[in-house]
Amino acid sequence: MKFLFIISLIFYALGAFFSLKPKVSYFLGFGGSVSAFITGCLALGHGTVFWKFSLLNHIMLSLAIDHLSAVFLIIASISWLALALYSVDYSKLYPQRRISLGFNLSLIGMLLVLTAQDAITMLIGWEIMTIFVFLMMQNPGKHFERSFRFLAFGELSTVCLLIGFAALFALTGSFSFDALKHGSPFILIMISLGFIIKMDIVPFHGWMRGIYGEIPDNTAALLSAPVTLMGVYGLERIIPLVPQNQAWDIIIILLGAFSAFWGGMQAAAADKIKLLPAYSTVENNGMILTTIGFYSLAQGFNTPILHYLSLFALATSIIIAISHTLAKTLLFMSVGHAKEAYDVHTIDEARGIWSGVGRIPAIGIVISALSFSAFPPLIGYAGEWMILETLFQSYRFPSTALAFFTALAGILIALAIGTISFAMIKIIGYNALGYDHGRKSRYIPHQLMHISEIGLEFLLLLGGIGLPLIIIITGFSKLLIGLLGVPAPLVLASGNPVFGVISPTFIGIIMLVLMIIPSFIFIKGKKKVRKVDSWNGGIRIAEGEFFSAPAYSQILEHILRKFYRTCEKRAKTHASIVIEDVLIEPSETVARVIRKLGEKVASVLMNGKISAYITYILILFITVFIIGMLVF
Amino acid sequence: MKILIGIVESGSEEYLFVLENGKPVLIKADDKLIGKFANYEILRQKPLKINDKPIKGPGVFKFRYGPVTSGILEAGCYHLYTYGEKILNATINISWKKRDLEQAMQQKSPEESLFMAERICSNFAMSHSLAFSRAVEMALDIRPSLLTHNWRTLFIESERIYNHLHVIQKLASSAAQKVLAAHLSALFEDALRLSEALTGSRYLMGVNHIGKLSPTPEVSIIQKIIDGYQELKERFTKLYKKSLSDNNYLDRLHSSGTLTQEQAQTFGLTGPSLRACGVKGELYDDSRHLIDLPVITKKEGDALARMEVRAEEIVNSCQYLIDHLRVSDSWPEEGDEKVQTENTGGTGYALVNSPSGALGYYVEIVNRKMKQVNIFTPSYPGMHAISQVLEGHIFTDFPFVVDSFGVHFADAAC
Amino acid sequence: MIRWWPLYGLKRKLTEGKEYESRIRLRFTPEKIFNRSLFVYAIDVGSSNALNFEISALKSPQYNIHRFGIYFTDSPRHADVLLVLGQPVPLMIDPLMETINQLPKPFSIITIRDFPDRPGSVDFPELPNHIADLKGVPSPSEIIGLLLDVAKTKRKQS
Repeated sequence: MKFLFIISLIFYALGAFFSLKPKVSYFLGFGGSVSAFITGCLALGHGTVFWKFSLLNHIMLSLAIDHLSAVFLIIASISWLALALYSVDYSKLYPQRRISLGFNLSLIGMLLVLTAQDAITMLIGWEIMTIFVFLMMQNPGKHFERSFRFLAFGELSTVCLLIGFAALFALTGSFSFDALKHGSPFILIMISLGFIIKMDIVPFHGWMRGIYGEIPDNTAALLSAPVTLMGVYGLERIIPLVPQNQAWDIIIILLGAFSAFWGGMQAAAADKIKLLPAYSTVENNGMILTTIGFYSLAQGFNTPILHYLSLFALATSIIIAISHTLAKTLLFMSVGHAKEAYDVHTIDEARGIWSGVGRIPAIGIVISALSFSAFPPLIGYAGEWMILETLFQSYRFPSTALAFFTALAGILIALAIGTISFAMIKIIGYNALGYDHGRKSRYIPHQLMHISEIGLEFLLLLGGIGLPLIIIITGFSKLLIGLLGVPAPLVLASGNPVFGVISPTFIGIIMLVLMIIPSFIFIKGKKKVRKVDSWNGGIRIAEGEFFSAPAYSQILEHILRKFYRTCEKRAKTHASIVIEDVLIEPSETVARVIRKLGEKVASVLMNGKISAYITYILILFITVFIIGMLVF
Repeated sequence: MKILIGIVESGSEEYLFVLENGKPVLIKADDKLIGKFANYEILRQKPLKINDKPIKGPGVFKFRYGPVTSGILEAGCYHLYTYGEKILNATINISWKKRDLEQAMQQKSPEESLFMAERICSNFAMSHSLAFSRAVEMALDIRPSLLTHNWRTLFIESERIYNHLHVIQKLASSAAQKVLAAHLSALFEDALRLSEALTGSRYLMGVNHIGKLSPTPEVSIIQKIIDGYQELKERFTKLYKKSLSDNNYLDRLHSSGTLTQEQAQTFGLTGPSLRACGVKGELYDDSRHLIDLPVITKKEGDALARMEVRAEEIVNSCQYLIDHLRVSDSWPEEGDEKVQTENTGGTGYALVNSPSGALGYYVEIVNRKMKQVNIFTPSYPGMHAISQVLEGHIFTDFPFVVDSFGVHFADAAC
Repeated sequence: MIRWWPLYGLKRKLTEGKEYESRIRLRFTPEKIFNRSLFVYAIDVGSSNALNFEISALKSPQYNIHRFGIYFTDSPRHADVLLVLGQPVPLMIDPLMETINQLPKPFSIITIRDFPDRPGSVDFPELPNHIADLKGVPSPSEIIGLLLDVAKTKRKQS
């Protein structure tokens, strides 16, 4: 296992080394990811310590893999290998060295995060990941400032983690995760905040609005799926260890639920083809955060019912994480494929992927979007059913306040699921299955793209049907029962005593039977089909007469105008609807203040006078010196 | 009060065809006079694409309704610029039904032209026929008998009844008032049958001639017709009263397509659409020896007000028909009429209160052939008004705005 | 306030038990499958509006055409019969042909020319399955009679 882990690292390092040859580099990345995947699979049974190292006398650094790491490593590595394979073809379009270099090195960072057993290793991995993802998206000259915003949020996350772990060290004298059980609420808040920021939870999503449309799609997929997964992993790793704090749990639950609602709402109004999946990430991670909070809250009570519920909530968070990572990777890959083939940016311009670009990316969008809209028997359906079931059982809390807040979260989550379906129908209806209206796409190499897309499509489908298997692998076999003639491990029960049950396997079988027979009858009795133009009042429909994607969302933007700050701009021959994401305002304000401040400082210090610059250096040196003295 | 109905170009001169205090007049155009009429430019240019101002913007698209739709049925096209629900601008293309009948009438005899006039917009057949024949009678100096005159007045009211019923039935149907719409539809069919009993044609075609009428109904039938109108009136009144207490219905019409008095006058509107804005006194008085019809006005100017004006006019017109049909046998057949004329040419013009507003004809005759015919229909300014008031409404209001004006593509694009 | 319209509607029976005979001879025998189910789409290609009003009148309770299985559709894609109203304006020929193109097979076309020799009008191009061509403005009962012929349905229904 250790050998495989080292092989992965070597592959990634070689990938980074050969970054001038992007194809080779991505192939090496693929090899590393396969190796990482196998490592994860092997580690499911029993964990292993890879490496222990003593930094100073009492500071131990260690890399090890246990069951939780293994589960997350498997999820992440599937996304990595799909992305690596996809990028081999994609690199024809974006052959820049920084992307392939950043890709491989950020995977090393993530691998370190997933296997770190102490704060320092994790921070190293965390920083490597952040810096190299930043490198991938950074395109000098173009959206320079926007990518810096990502870096700012990434560093904010690191700073939070740094403060949290420093406080841990101050309190316990150790950086090891084991020391967290002696942690304080402050430590809990700081560390979990660090991870929450990485998960793009509202209001820490301010950077994405500007940047997502501009960066290459493999970068976007990496950012949206595996990188945010690291935040989830961090939370799941830390929260069970630190002493529970009920108020913080409630805050997490509500923050997650609100984030889900907000993300869903903004996704429904998104008009850029990549902004929609990006906001869907905010929504999904919000749901994951809520379930993690719920897990922590329920675990604080020692009754068997709530114990079962907490276990169920934890399973929910992992199932949603799996569904999100796989479906989001697939969605970004398919959307990116189509977007590049059409060379466009908006949902309106990228219509008719089925006929205009290809069946496989179109199916990719359909399957991933259906998974996000909880369509049975896909895995997203299981995830969203589970979160609703979890929150429905909020009445089981002994305190009314807890029941109230969790029920409130349930309402927000339900709204989020509704709005995200609205958004996903938009991307399915316009982009995947819509009319192409004679648009021509350009040729891009796509064999490997297709392979990775098909792979993920099957995984999403099988993930739902094979849900019991996933539940068993992730270690929640307790939640599986048999009921009403459906045999034992196929039914997932949300409560004990039974509250609600679901069996995607059974649904899958029924759907197959119900679909196969009708399709057979349909194909048998197929009549002659005559194709005609769309009927539109006796004249051929012209460009500019199609029902536009913003028009689809307009009714929602009008009903929820208080949230969207919907504003109509009308000139004599021009009209538009402007909506805002008001929650990026705080970060925008900070950015403005910093920019102003920077300009001021620059004009005072870097005014060309060497004396001013020397004074600045001196002051900086003295400050650092004093801080160093104080610490040691 | 002066309303510009149309512009007539005769030779090198330009004349304004104006409705002044209920009478049509032809005034030579000068800059001062032109400045008084806001609708001068519209009538001067007479665009076939009304209010053609495309809107652009992110998400804005053109929703084309027509030229083949089951909702409007007529060959015409609405271009609605929108970003989903709200209508940003409405362009109406009437060219799909342009039949150039004004040109087609040239060099035809007055009788042939009358035949065509009836077929411009057959639901206004009597209005067209009457306006044309009156213009020709003026040009050729023909004076029809009092009997002819009175019967013509009754025919116009008969036409008004079925047209108004049709409009209200469409409004009720659009508002999903199915029972009301079905009953109104039945009344509409009854009104058509009464018109048939009155003239032999469901659309009052082929009855009116220049200076005379086809034989009017027998006395024995008249009583049946009177009873028919009496029943129609009673049934309609009952339905109308009942519908006025139904908020579901009224809410759909209320404040849809609201026009102010100034706007209405800007477009040169006449008829129920103008009366629904509170303007009185535009009604052209041609009932010389008959009892005057009361003028119905409403203040609100919305679709509801236009519906109310029409509904009350139906009741009044029924009563008017009942009262006059009873005494129709006492009308003298002979009088100071002059049916034959030596004149072979001349110029004439006339206005008729069609169900949707003032309908005017200007004719020039040389050697008993039409040299020039100008037709001024109420639907044309009506279309302009619709295209303006649709702005800002949402799609669900579309039928209420459009139907409440009672305009027709056939009438607008003659 | 919500009115009790259905009760009001039930109070009075408006449907007439008339027999609808058709005087128009069909050019060929129509398909049998339309029996008791005929979906009609009407298109105006330049009529004088009298025909449009007759179509409106056809929908009135007196005729109650639904009892014969005759329905007016909102799309030519659902239609069995295309009812072409009016003598065509040149501009409307293309939309007419496109409408015919949208009809599912089998279908029949009935044309009604209210003003056959209108100056400036054009004649119909060759129309497929042109089952009847009427001149003038037929009454609703004549139109029903014709449609019943096409549908091969019993003439009188209570």
